[in-house]
Amino acid sequence: MGYINTILILGGINVIAALGVSILTGYTGLFTIGHAGFMALGGYLSAVLIKEYEVHFVLALIIGGLFAGVASLIIGYPSFRSRLRGDYFAIATLGFSEAIRLLLNNMKQVGPLNIGGSFGYSIPSGMATVPVVVVALLLAMLFAHMFVTSQHGKNCIAIAQDEVAAEMMGVNLLRTKLIALFISAFYAGVAGGLMGLFFAYQSPSFYSITQSSNLLAAVVFGGIQSLIGPFITAFVLVAAPQLLLVMEEWRLIAYGFLFVLIMVFRPQGLLGYVEMNFNFVKAGWNKLVARKSISRKAVH
Amino acid sequence: MDLFLQQLVSGISIGAIYALLAVGYALVYSIYNFTNWAFDAFMAFGAIMAFIAIASLAMPFWLAAILAIVLTIILAVGTEKLAYKPLRMRKAPRLFMMISAMGVNLTIVQTMNKFFGGTFRKFPVDSVQPIFIGNVSVGRMDLLAGAISFGVLALLWVFLYRSKWGLAIRASSIDIQTASLMGINNDAVAVIIFGLTGVLSTVAGVFYGIKYAVFPMMGTITIKAMIASIIGGLGNLPAAIVGSMLLGVLETLVAGYISSTYRDLFSFLFLIVILLFFPNGLMGKSGDEKL
Repeated sequence: MGYINTILILGGINVIAALGVSILTGYTGLFTIGHAGFMALGGYLSAVLIKEYEVHFVLALIIGGLFAGVASLIIGYPSFRSRLRGDYFAIATLGFSEAIRLLLNNMKQVGPLNIGGSFGYSIPSGMATVPVVVVALLLAMLFAHMFVTSQHGKNCIAIAQDEVAAEMMGVNLLRTKLIALFISAFYAGVAGGLMGLFFAYQSPSFYSITQSSNLLAAVVFGGIQSLIGPFITAFVLVAAPQLLLVMEEWRLIAYGFLFVLIMVFRPQGLLGYVEMNFNFVKAGWNKLVARKSISRKAVH
Repeated sequence: MDLFLQQLVSGISIGAIYALLAVGYALVYSIYNFTNWAFDAFMAFGAIMAFIAIASLAMPFWLAAILAIVLTIILAVGTEKLAYKPLRMRKAPRLFMMISAMGVNLTIVQTMNKFFGGTFRKFPVDSVQPIFIGNVSVGRMDLLAGAISFGVLALLWVFLYRSKWGLAIRASSIDIQTASLMGINNDAVAVIIFGLTGVLSTVAGVFYGIKYAVFPMMGTITIKAMIASIIGGLGNLPAAIVGSMLLGVLETLVAGYISSTYRDLFSFLFLIVILLFFPNGLMGKSGDEKL
């Protein structure tokens, strides 16, 4: 049971972070390979709040997420302001996450706090249980769904499709991008906090570039402009290697290879542009009714 | 004063390596409008090929370097044909190009990690006495690296601005479709561009390997080159060189006078400050920035 729990919790945490990347990369079309940096910021802040200030962990997670969101605006504003369509931003996220990781690795002391440098920062454990992660995941999914179907979400999709046309139609580019980025970084921050609560410590080694590529992989494999696709792949990408015990190095080689193959042959990913809904139930019911009436006609 | 001069010298020598890398990014960006994330994999690949040629096959340095350059050109052109060309042909969004490039990067770097091992290795060249100018010591390899880097950049300039192929590349950078309507062979331009990035990345990789160490993840240094090319102005060759020199010298001064812990953080903060006050980089023109 403990093993299944581990997979459920780690999978759930990965899905929360991947939903954030999906909102930014999948829906708004902004490439990021630095989301591990936001995870680290949110994770460390919530860990410090829980341990040093005995804040309730739910509140600490939210504050951690908000902190990651605010930090993301600091790199988002200058890079979105220049009109060079996202490249500055991608490089800035990469530089930012590497800088954060190196800083956490090398700083043992922040003011009066000892955050442990590369040894990591231990916190009380036992709070990231399966129900907590499942509730967080459901809330995250619900909110993401509400966001992408709202007017803001539609603006994001418009930007991803054609920035110039979107601006012509009155979409405020800078504001829409910043909103998407803030939400995306908030998700990453909460996921980082949950990760610390599960492992009972925070370590800079959690937030390497490998973590960022895993999140990107979930979105690319799962599909652009889809929430349910990344949801499934983010979970499978955590669960499958644990179950199959595939070697870590081969996993990353395969990821890279799949990135290229998917972009060349099926750029929309597994479930690109497909959204979770229950229309198939309705459609199936209609089909069933139709078939019945046909067979009845045949009898008459 | 001596300390300052010493820092300046090592700043310029690392800046020269950044310049090679930044120019490689700028070349691809100026024509295909995407950041070639696979570039750092080419750099590590070139350095490791040179390392193997010297350490295992006992080749002389110059022969190993040429072999590494040829192999990296093949790799770079090969990835262009397999990973980018199909996307370009159907005019895929830039996001897809970047993801594909990231995939190439992951595949190459992790394959090297698997077969070469992730350990740091010293590049097998004899260490030679540095030259002293007053009290400032200048490594002979630094000098060679600087000279060859500037030589390569000068040759590139001559190629771009004084040859017919260079004209074709510059025309493509303004508008690739119009250029192809005027009879410029797009595929040939792509082969030349990616071949050039192979040369630039290998030269940078070998000298970086000599200066520090050879390992599959050595390409992460190219983040600095990207930052430098943004500071200068993306897609603009002279700006990339100026940005690289500036970043190389400033970060070496920070490492020397404050702490090497803050060097990378400084580079990043510098980028943010530059973007706040110069949204298109120091020398970038607003709107379309080209070669």
